Amino acid sequence: MTGAIVIESIGGGLACEVKERSGASPMSCYQCAKCSSGCPVASAGDLKPHELVRMVQMDQREAVLTSRFIWECTSCHTCTTRCPQQVDIAGMNDALRAMSRTARTAELSTAVPAFNEIFLDAVRERGRVFELGLMIRFKLRTKRFFEDVGKAPMMLLKGKLPLSGSRVGGEAERKALFGRAAARAAAGRRAACAADGQAPEGSAAGHQAAAGVAAEQRAATGAASHQPPEGGAK
Amino acid sequence: MSYVFFPGCALDGTAKDFHRSTLAVAARVGLDLPELKDWICCGSTAAHSTDPLLADALPAKSLSAAGGSTVAVACASCYSRLKTANHHIAGDAAVRARVAQVVGSDYDGRTPVLHLLEILCRDIGLPRIAAAIRRPLAGLKVACYYGCLLARPPEITNFDDAENPTLMDKLLETAGASPVEWPHKTECCGASFSITDSSIVLKLSNKILSMAQAAGADCIATACPLCQLNLDMRQKDIESRFGRRYRLPVFYFTQLLGLALGCQAEELSLSSLVVEPMALLEAKGIGR
Repeated sequence: MTGAIVIESIGGGLACEVKERSGASPMSCYQCAKCSSGCPVASAGDLKPHELVRMVQMDQREAVLTSRFIWECTSCHTCTTRCPQQVDIAGMNDALRAMSRTARTAELSTAVPAFNEIFLDAVRERGRVFELGLMIRFKLRTKRFFEDVGKAPMMLLKGKLPLSGSRVGGEAERKALFGRAAARAAAGRRAACAADGQAPEGSAAGHQAAAGVAAEQRAATGAASHQPPEGGAK
Repeated sequence: MSYVFFPGCALDGTAKDFHRSTLAVAARVGLDLPELKDWICCGSTAAHSTDPLLADALPAKSLSAAGGSTVAVACASCYSRLKTANHHIAGDAAVRARVAQVVGSDYDGRTPVLHLLEILCRDIGLPRIAAAIRRPLAGLKVACYYGCLLARPPEITNFDDAENPTLMDKLLETAGASPVEWPHKTECCGASFSITDSSIVLKLSNKILSMAQAAGADCIATACPLCQLNLDMRQKDIESRFGRRYRLPVFYFTQLLGLALGCQAEELSLSSLVVEPMALLEAKGIGR
C-alpha cells in the first residue's frame, strides 16, 4: 500500500485486544517508520509495519485481519528490536495472526495457517516434528505436489531427510496439555467478544456467560499472582 | 557448570550434520553434552503464531525437566523459543500461573538456557579453544551469519550486540579463520517460508549471499538449521530466479570449528552440504 491510509472509523477496541493478547502497546507508536525501514518483507507487502500499527490504532479490524502482511511477516524481530517506543510489533503480529485465523480470513491468501496447524498436530501426536512427514502432509493439504519436488531425492541422498523420526512418550499427557491450552484460548476469545458486545464465535454462549468467563479468568489470574499453584517444579 | 543438550527437531532431521558436528566439537573441547531426556518440540514459529500460551507451555515442559543443569541449545529457533518462554514465565506471575495450569505443574522460568556459541566463547573460553586447535583455518575468509533469532530481541536473548554480534567471529578467528566485515550478519533469510512461500526465501537469501560475496567471503558460517538450509539448498533456485551464481559453501560454525580442532570430514558430515565444500577446503590446505 502506498500513499494515505484510509480511516473509516475510530474506535480503539482492536488496540486493546492486541495489548491483552500479546502485551504489545500499539498506541505508543508515533509513526517514525523505523520498523518499516528495517523490515525484510515490507517492500513487497500490502502494508508496511508502521502502517499496520496505525491501522490497529484506528481500529481498522477488517483491513488488519485480512492483510497479507501479517502472514508474510517472518518474525525476524527487527521491528521490535529497533522501535524507539518499545512497541513489540512482532508480538502484535502474533496476536493478529491468531485473531485472523479465528476470524477465518486467512485461508484464502496464505498457506501459513495450514502449515502451522500440521506442525502443531505433529507436536501433539509425537512430541517432536518429523520433517519428511510434515512436508508430505503439507503437500497433501495444499495440493502443491510439484513445488520443490526435485529437492526430496537430493535431500535423501545428502542424509538431510531421514525416513523415520523419533517420538516421545507421554502422548495422553501431551494431548491433555494441548486441550487445556485450546480451552483457555477459547475462553479468552469468548471474553474478548463479550467485551466487544459480540456473540462469541463458534459457541451458543451469550453475553452473560462470556462475561462470567472473563470474571472467572480475572479471579483465577488475580489469585494466582499472589499464590503460585501447587505441584512445584520437578 | 553442568549442561544438558536440547537438540530440537531439526537436529534429528535436516540438520543432522549440525548435531553430529556439535557433538564432535564438544568431545574435542571436553564439553559434556548429555541429551535432555524426553525433550519435546519448542513449538517454533507455528506455536507463537497460533497461541501465546501454548508457545510458553511447550518450552516450559522441557525446561522444567532439566534438573538444575544449564540447557545447551544449538538451533537458533529453539534457543529463541526457550528463552522467550523463560522471559515471560519468570517475569509475570499471571503468565506463570496460566502456564502451570496448561502444563499441569509449576515452572519458575529460571532454568538457564545458553547457545553453544555462548558456552564455547564464554564458559569454556577462547584461550582453551585456542589451545585445542590442531589445523588452523588459515586464509579462509568467512562471513559469520547469525540470522534473526540469536541476537533479537536483546532484552530476551541477552546474547550479544543485536546489530553487530561478534561471538562467532571471535570463535572462528580463534580457529585461525579470517571473518569478513559485512553488514548482513543479522538480516533475515526467510526462515520457514521455505515451505509455505519460497519466493520470500529466494529474495532474502539472495541479498545475504550477494553481500557475503561482495565482502570477499569464501564461505558462510551459520548457527541455525533453517538459515543453513535456505542459504545452501536454495542457491540453485536463486541462480535460476536471479541469474546470480554464487557456489558459496554454507557451513555450520561447528563444522568449521571441528575441522580446526582436527575432526575428520565424516565426523562433521561435510558430505551433507549441498554446495560442495571440499574444493575450497583443499585449496586452503584444510580439507586433508
